[in-house]
Amino acid sequence: MNIRDKVNQFLTHVERRAFKMAKYATGNVDEALDLVQDAMFGFVRHYTNRPEDEWNVLFYSILRSRITDWYRRAFVRKRVLSWVTRANDSEDEGDPIQDVPDTRTLNAFEDILRHEELLALEKAIQMLPLRQQQAFLLRVWEEMDVKQTAFVMGCSEGSVKTHYSRAVHTLRGLLEDIRS
Amino acid sequence: MNTNEQEKRLLEKAKSLLSEAAENLDSQTKKRLERIRLDALTTVERPGAKFFLPPRWITASAFVTAAIAGVAIFFWLRASPGNFPGKQAEDFEIITSAENIEFYENLEFYRWLATKENGS
Repeated sequence: MNIRDKVNQFLTHVERRAFKMAKYATGNVDEALDLVQDAMFGFVRHYTNRPEDEWNVLFYSILRSRITDWYRRAFVRKRVLSWVTRANDSEDEGDPIQDVPDTRTLNAFEDILRHEELLALEKAIQMLPLRQQQAFLLRVWEEMDVKQTAFVMGCSEGSVKTHYSRAVHTLRGLLEDIRS
Repeated sequence: MNTNEQEKRLLEKAKSLLSEAAENLDSQTKKRLERIRLDALTTVERPGAKFFLPPRWITASAFVTAAIAGVAIFFWLRASPGNFPGKQAEDFEIITSAENIEFYENLEFYRWLATKENGS
């Protein structure tokens, strides 16, 4: 199998999950596809010469970086718009990424949702702050260990544990609320 | 059922549901993802091609060197106009000669005088 076939096989394996991950973060299909495209091109250009067992972590590292950039741009856009329209005079403080207002519609998944549990779960995941969302998806869905997740997220292992723990705690609460 | 078991079941259920959602994407999104993947694959280098490519810093250095050399040659050529007085050997002799410069300033007059004398 030549390198192109190997890369094709790898990207086929990750593309749908990557898309879902980007969509959970952005709440928008087109934005999510753009982010996946950027991640794929970045990966193919820079990392296909690396050992194959590193590909998964490297690919998600690029995707996470693109999602974070998207959040920053969305935050600035939101701030500028609110400043121009003078709709909101309050000063936000703290982590700008985690404080980005959620503009996503909860009905965005209607066309693909098959049942109530999935709907509830996806809603709950979308409600998580970005870093908790990433820690949860990488640890649970991609089955990455703490070290790999820390590399992908560009933070310490301790931070990963904190984000993940908070995510699980929040999800448990949200899913109980939704089901009740 | 204790908390750990509840959490474990929740996570297993979540993983299962998420995988199901990823597999059941609508056909349009699947096609768009496939297209993106195939486009990305066109940039995959052929095996061995990377071996012959110099590192990026060498490429950048070579580009900068070539640019500087280009600018230097440009100014060198601009500084050497075609009517440079020392272009020909006879002019060079004039420049390096220690004789009185006034003689050369009146050279045309002496030439005219010589033709008049030869003609008469």
